[in-house]
Amino acid sequence: MIFIPVYLVIIPIFASLVIYIFKNKHMNYLALLAQAVVTVLAIVYYQHFSGNFEATMFVFGGWDDRIGISMSNDALSLSFVFLTVFTWWMVLLYTFDKGNTNHNFIFFLLFLEGVFFGILMTNDLFNMFVFLELAAILVTILIAFNKAGNSFRAGIYYLLVNTAGVLTFLIGIILIYFTFGTININVITNLMPLYGDELIIKFAYVLLMSGIAVKSALFPVFTWLPHAHGVAQSAISALLSGLIVKGGLYLFIRINQMYAAANYDYYAFFFVLGALTAIVGVMFALSQKDMKQILAYHTVSQIGIMMMGLSSQDVNVYYGGVLHIFNHALFKSLLFLGAGVIIKVYRTKKVNEIRGVFKTMPWVSIFMIVGMLSITGAPLFNGFISKSIIKYGIQDSGIKYWTLFIINIGTATSFIKMSQIFFGPQSLSYPMQRKLQNFALMSIAFGCIILGNFYIPINQGFFGIDLSYIHIFEFAKFFDYFLTLAIGYLFYYFIISKDKPPIPNIRNFSISFEASNIIFIALIVVMTIYFVLL
Amino acid sequence: MSVSKNIILFALLSVLLIVFMLAMQDLDVLYNSYGRDYYLLYGLEETGSRNLVSAIYLDYRLFDSLFEAGILLIAVSGIIWISKHDIEEKNAKFMIDKYKTPDLFVTFSRLVYPLMLTFGFYVIINGHLSPGGGFQGGAIVATAILILYYIDSERETNIGLIVTIEKYIFMTIIVLASISLFTRGTFFTNFMPLDASLQMKSIYLVLLNLLIGFKVALGLWTIFTAFLKEGR
Repeated sequence: MIFIPVYLVIIPIFASLVIYIFKNKHMNYLALLAQAVVTVLAIVYYQHFSGNFEATMFVFGGWDDRIGISMSNDALSLSFVFLTVFTWWMVLLYTFDKGNTNHNFIFFLLFLEGVFFGILMTNDLFNMFVFLELAAILVTILIAFNKAGNSFRAGIYYLLVNTAGVLTFLIGIILIYFTFGTININVITNLMPLYGDELIIKFAYVLLMSGIAVKSALFPVFTWLPHAHGVAQSAISALLSGLIVKGGLYLFIRINQMYAAANYDYYAFFFVLGALTAIVGVMFALSQKDMKQILAYHTVSQIGIMMMGLSSQDVNVYYGGVLHIFNHALFKSLLFLGAGVIIKVYRTKKVNEIRGVFKTMPWVSIFMIVGMLSITGAPLFNGFISKSIIKYGIQDSGIKYWTLFIINIGTATSFIKMSQIFFGPQSLSYPMQRKLQNFALMSIAFGCIILGNFYIPINQGFFGIDLSYIHIFEFAKFFDYFLTLAIGYLFYYFIISKDKPPIPNIRNFSISFEASNIIFIALIVVMTIYFVLL
Repeated sequence: MSVSKNIILFALLSVLLIVFMLAMQDLDVLYNSYGRDYYLLYGLEETGSRNLVSAIYLDYRLFDSLFEAGILLIAVSGIIWISKHDIEEKNAKFMIDKYKTPDLFVTFSRLVYPLMLTFGFYVIINGHLSPGGGFQGGAIVATAILILYYIDSERETNIGLIVTIEKYIFMTIIVLASISLFTRGTFFTNFMPLDASLQMKSIYLVLLNLLIGFKVALGLWTIFTAFLKEGR
């Protein structure tokens, strides 16, 4: 029972190897079998250990916990595990319906699942580094999978930038090992009061955090994300935006838990970084015309909102950030998968060329609209809950509140812009009835609605957080939302749709790899000055 | 533009260097040798490996090594997939122009090839006794195989087969590492009991080193074959 985390890592990897070896169309269904086994194991594991997460710790080989590699779980990691299982189900169902399931694709996809489980459950810093490296290579291959020129470029860009980030992470681990004599996260957490004020540990914090900033695409170093998520296949985009990029935020939570006793004042710094990420992301998203680029830049801006929540001392706002990770995973994968269906049928990604989607494929449109309502924070949908928690927590502070308000207006504007694809007459027929794809989209849409309405028992059960102070059916909430939509529409009608400068300039703005490296080093220096020298 | 960029970069990096050196000065007092001392004291006794590096990567931190090997596996499969244009081209010949390779070089390659191969296997099999091990020895064996291409430029390589064997070996490594679940009740360690003699423990170490060595050699072999064909 205690070794279930090992099975969760090994089973997908083993299945992927078998699929690769047999290169057989029927053998591909082994992926679904492995997925089913993983699902059952995760549920059994949760039922056995919920309420007693201390007991989940074990060391490979039975060695001293300061020497060997250990794994452990808590409510956070297990909820991420369930999110991972769910997202992989949806992506697998979606790919299997496309008919041309390539065994290479399934191989890399399943291997990535095992590796991602490893990132979530490991309790060892170097082990985490190994998994991060492996995940970066796998994601690179998946981005470049269809071997077109732009996907190659995005893949290599992703690999180089992320390798730079992971390397600073490694240097941070080395500094920690020299000081603590171990890299077991639990042991370091307990010893942190002894060493927290030392310069070397502060510097290690900076290095770890700058690696994480790259991984989770924070403000100055987010440039790899739109490239990568914009050009990959839609299923992969959904996976990357929905889940893999959240790996960075998961590490942010983990490392800050490890440094909890050191009491660094990171809140203000990362709040500002999050707010900047959100605003810049929305700004770029507004200028885009490519449907997938819009969604990719919105991932950047939503990550900013999550960061604003996570970097709060208020427990409620913090859980708002955590909850937003889950909600965003649902609605963003829904939007990307839906966009994938539409792009496949219309053979273009340009928002202003696609018309009449609602008449052509009503079901896909309805699911897409659910996703759009969620991301803009409409009451009754899940995005509303987490955004309300964050809004509720920061309403005393004027600047913070208005920042969030502006970001919401930007989000509303850009999805009003995107909703133009639904209008118009039916322009072409949609002969294919893709049952599995529709099923995948429908499940995620239901997930959005369920999390948006039954949030009180769900969060009480999983995190033990009482959310009963968030009410959906209040006049003010609906008024707020429609006000945001109205301002967004006016903003769209009078400014964005005219496409006057500086909007095209923002759209065509790009940063060379060299410049992005200098920006990354500048970020490390700024963080060093903030955390170490001040 | 470029000059000012360089100056900014230089200034930024020197700030980092200064902070790093300050941090290193603290280390004189803070340095914690727990891990090092533990390996020195108990490494041989607990794992049966005289080479403590092997003790770490084959026993204490075997879980990491599995995925380090996995990185090579994924890199190989990724390179194969991305460099693959056509099935026919897969089994292409290696193209060193026979007339441009000096005879002296070919002759020496013939002499050196068996020596390199033997040395590679020596490093792999004695990985638990002397410096070396599966990863290093595998790289030497792969280099030896590369020399084969100089000796016989008409040589054909079936990459598909090699890649499949590599996958089988990786699965065998995972299975071999998991046997300890049945003998010692825990994952990823030596399957011999803790109080077994050094000779008994070395069975496991040699087996695992051999498998890792084969895997690394096959992986590197595939990578450079793929690159050579790309370069053509």
